[in-house]
Amino acid sequence: MGGSAVVAQTTVDTLGELLGLGSLSAIEDFLLSFVVAAGIVVFILTLVAVSGIWGKRKITAAFTDRIAVNRIGPFGLLIIVADAVRLLSKELIVPEGVDRPAYDIGPFVMVASALLGFAVIPMGSGVQLADPEVGLVYVFAVASIASVGLVMAGYSSNNKYSFLGGLRAVAQNLAYEIPLVLTAASVVLFTGTLQMSGIVEAQATPLVEVGGLGINSWFAFVNPFAFLLFMAANLAEVGRNPFDIPEAPTEIVAGWQTEYSSVYFVLCYLSEFIHIFLGGAIITTLFLGGPASPIAGVSVIPGIGWFVIKMLAIYLFTQWMRSAIPRVRIDQLIEIGWKGMLVLSFANLVLTAVIVGLIA
Amino acid sequence: MSLEQPERPGSDVVGVTEDGIDYDALEALLGEHVIGREAHLNAEAFVVRPDEVAAALGTLRDEAGFDHCSCVTAQEYEDRYESIYHLRKYDDPTQEVGVVVPTSKGEPVSQSGNEVYRTADWHEREAYDLVGIEYEDHPDMRRILLPETWQGHPLGMDYNAEKAQVVTLREHANPLEEDHRAGESSDTMFVNIGPHHPATHGVLHLKTTLDGEQVGDVDPDIGYLHRCEEQMCQQSTYRHQIMPYPDRWDYISAGILNEWAYARAAEDLAGLDVPEYAQVIRTMSAELCRIASHFLALGTFALDVYGDFTAIFMYSTRDREVVQNILEDLTGQRLMFNYLRLGGVAWDLPEPRQEFFEQIRDFLDELPGRLEEYHDMITSNEIFQMRCVNTGVLEPETAKSYGATGPVARGSGIDYDLRRDDPYGYYDQLDWDVITEDGCDNYSRVLVRMQEVEESAKIIDQCVTLLEQWPDDERTIQSNVPRTLKPEADSEIYRSVEAAKGELGIYMRADGTDTPARFKIRSPCFSNLQTLPEMSEGEYIPDLIASLGSLDIVLGEVDR
Repeated sequence: MGGSAVVAQTTVDTLGELLGLGSLSAIEDFLLSFVVAAGIVVFILTLVAVSGIWGKRKITAAFTDRIAVNRIGPFGLLIIVADAVRLLSKELIVPEGVDRPAYDIGPFVMVASALLGFAVIPMGSGVQLADPEVGLVYVFAVASIASVGLVMAGYSSNNKYSFLGGLRAVAQNLAYEIPLVLTAASVVLFTGTLQMSGIVEAQATPLVEVGGLGINSWFAFVNPFAFLLFMAANLAEVGRNPFDIPEAPTEIVAGWQTEYSSVYFVLCYLSEFIHIFLGGAIITTLFLGGPASPIAGVSVIPGIGWFVIKMLAIYLFTQWMRSAIPRVRIDQLIEIGWKGMLVLSFANLVLTAVIVGLIA
Repeated sequence: MSLEQPERPGSDVVGVTEDGIDYDALEALLGEHVIGREAHLNAEAFVVRPDEVAAALGTLRDEAGFDHCSCVTAQEYEDRYESIYHLRKYDDPTQEVGVVVPTSKGEPVSQSGNEVYRTADWHEREAYDLVGIEYEDHPDMRRILLPETWQGHPLGMDYNAEKAQVVTLREHANPLEEDHRAGESSDTMFVNIGPHHPATHGVLHLKTTLDGEQVGDVDPDIGYLHRCEEQMCQQSTYRHQIMPYPDRWDYISAGILNEWAYARAAEDLAGLDVPEYAQVIRTMSAELCRIASHFLALGTFALDVYGDFTAIFMYSTRDREVVQNILEDLTGQRLMFNYLRLGGVAWDLPEPRQEFFEQIRDFLDELPGRLEEYHDMITSNEIFQMRCVNTGVLEPETAKSYGATGPVARGSGIDYDLRRDDPYGYYDQLDWDVITEDGCDNYSRVLVRMQEVEESAKIIDQCVTLLEQWPDDERTIQSNVPRTLKPEADSEIYRSVEAAKGELGIYMRADGTDTPARFKIRSPCFSNLQTLPEMSEGEYIPDLIASLGSLDIVLGEVDR
C-alpha cells in the first residue's frame, strides 16, 4: 500500500520493443496504439459474440430446463455466424419522424463509451492499452457517456415507449452511478492510487499464507461489503434484473431500443453486452485481483485467462439474476438507489476511511 | 342504524324462505314495476318496463340481496327486443331471478342497469353492438366487439350478413393519431398498450393515459378476437355440432371446463340425465384442465412481473406438459378436447386403465414438490412481494359490482365457487375446500391459484380412487340421448359452471328446432377484465401490467 505510482509497461511499449523501435516517437506511439486498440476491440467483440449470442442461450437454457441451440455446428456454436448474418441482413427500418442524426448517433455513442472503458483495463499477460494515473476515474467517466446515448436513442425515436425507456435509463443511471463511484472510492482508500495497474498491484499481497500457498488480498475478501454493494449497483448500471427497467419487456415493449432494427439493433445489443463485460472488468480489477490467479504463487493459466474467467463469472451472475429475479418497479428502484444504496455506500466509505486511517 | 336495532343478517332480505326463493314476495316487493312474469328453467323472471329498469334492479339488489348481475342477454323476437338481466347472489348462487325488459321494435331503447351493477356497462354495450338495443343513461354507448364503423347489428333479425362492410378511407384513418387526449397543453401522455404488446396475452388494446409513470386512465378496447361464437352456436345443432366450440373460447387448455358449461346448460334444457360414472370422469378431467390453466396463469404472471422468459415460466410450462399428456391420453387431443357429450362423455378411460391411473398418480405425487419449488421461486421472493402485495387492489364491493368471479373474486375474499355453491358433477360428494384470500391484491390472486391447484389435485385423487373401484358392469359413459334434440319451444335457461377463470354461463332459448334460437355466452374474463381500470388507475405502469396478468384473461373468451 502506498502512493508510489506503479508505471506498468503497456502493450504499446512491449510491441515497440518487439519491433525494435527503441523509445517511441509520437507518431509511432499513435500508430502502435491504434493496432493494439484494434486488437483489444476484436478480442472484446469476439468475447461478446460467443457469450452474448451462444453463451447467453446456453446459460438461460440451463436455468430454465431447456436445451437451446444444438443443431448448427458443434454445440450449436455456428449460431453465432447464423445470427450475425441474420441480424445484419435485415432491413434497416428508420421510422418516420425520428430525430436524425441523434437517432443514428445514439447506438454508436453507447458502443463507443463501453469500448473506450477497456482502454485502461489491465487484462493480464501484459495486455493494457494505456495506464494513466486517473485510470479508475476515466473508466467511470467514459462508461457514463452511455447515458447520453440512451437519452438520444430514447428521445429521438419518436416513440413513447422509447421515450419512457430513455427517461427511466437516465433516472436509473443517476441513482446508481453515485453509489458505484463511492464504493469504488473506498477501494481507492486502500490502494492510494487511481491507476488501474496500481489497484491490481495492491491486491497481490497474500492475505493468509500456508506453506507457500496463500489467498491474495483481493478487495472482495478485504472489504466484502463494498464488493456486494458494487455488484448490486453494477446490475443497475448494466440494466439487468432486478434492474432491467429501461428495457422492461412486457411493460414498455423494449424501452429505448424499441424502434431500432437491423444494424442499429445489433449495436444496441452489442453495447449492452459490452457494458456487462466492462462492468465485469471493473469488478475484476477492483475486487478480484485483476488478472491474478486466486491462489498466490500458483498460476496455472496465463493472466489473461484468469481475467476472462473472472469476467465471464460476473457475466454468468448477471444472466443468473435475469433468469431468477423479478424486476422492481421504477419508483422502488429509485427508492432503493437514493435511500438505500447511497446511504450504505457513504457508510462504507466513511468506515473504510476510519479503518484505513487506524491501520496506516 | 341505531344501537337498539342490531343487524340480523339475512332476516331483512325479502323473498328468501327455507325452500329457496319466494317469487311472490319478490313480486310484491317490486310492486308495480312488474308487468308480467316468465318462468325460465333456472329461475322465475319478472317483466319490467324499459324505463324502470334501474329502479327494479336497485330494489332487487338492495332489498332482496341480489348482488351479482351475472349476465345481460339481449335478443330479438319477431315482435320485440328483449334484455334479460340474470341476477343471483354471491352468498348463494342457486337463488336466482331474471329481469326481462322488452322494448318495442320501432324504438329499441331501454334504461341502463349500469347505475346499479357496474358490470352492466360492458354487457349492455355488447347488447347494443350485436343485437341493437340502445340503453339510456349509459355512460358510454359505443360498440364494444365490432369496429366502430360497422354497419348493422349481426344478431338482429334483419341483418344482412352478405352485405359487404365498406369502410371508407376517411373512416379508416388512424383514430389514434392525436397524442394528447386532453389537448396539447395537457401534461399527460396517451399511450396505446397493445393490440401488439408483449404483455397483453393476446390482442388486447389498452388506451392508457399516463401522468409520468403513473396511470391516469385505462380504457380496455376489446374485440380483436371476436369470432362470432354465439352466432356459430345458434346455427349448430344441440346434439353434436355445438360441443367443439366451447374449446375455442378459453383456449388455454381449459377446454373441458368450457364444454361442461354447454353440457350442463343443454342437459338441463333438454332434461337429460348423466350417468354417475361419466360425472366422475368429467369432474376429474375438468380439474386436470383447471390445473393446466392455473399453471399457465402462474407462468405468464411471472413473465409479466419478472420481465422475460425466466425460469418460472419454463417450469410451469414443463409441469403443465404432464397434464397435457394425461389429457391427450384421455381425449386424444391436447388443446381442443371435444370430449364431453350431452348425457356423458365421448369414450371411456384409455386401456390399460391401471397404467392411466398410475400416470395421474405419479403427477399428483410430484405436485407438492413442484408447488414448493414455485413458492421458493415466486411467492417467497421479496422482490416479488414488493411488486405484488398491495398493488392492483380490488375491494370486494367493487369486485361484486363488476361481477368478478373465479380466482379474481376469491382473491378479494369473496367466498364464491359454483362447484360448491351450485353443485354439479360429482363435486358435492368429494372432500375439498374453496380457497379465499383477503389481500384483494395481485399477490392474493396468485396465492389463490396456487392453492386451487392443490385442491384440484385433491379432487382428482378422489376421482381416481372412485374410478379404480368402479364395478366393471356399471361403467355407463353416456345416457340414452335422442339422435336429434329438440327442446320445448320457448324454454329458456341460464346455467353456469366454475370454469378456470370464473363463472362461465350459457343462456339458451329453444324454439322447437334442433338449434338454439339464442345462444349467449357469459364469459368470466369479460367481466373480470372490466375491473382493470379500478385496479390500476393511480398506480404505476408495471402494476397495470401485473394486474392485467393477475386477472388471467384469455382474449378468446373475452371477445368470443
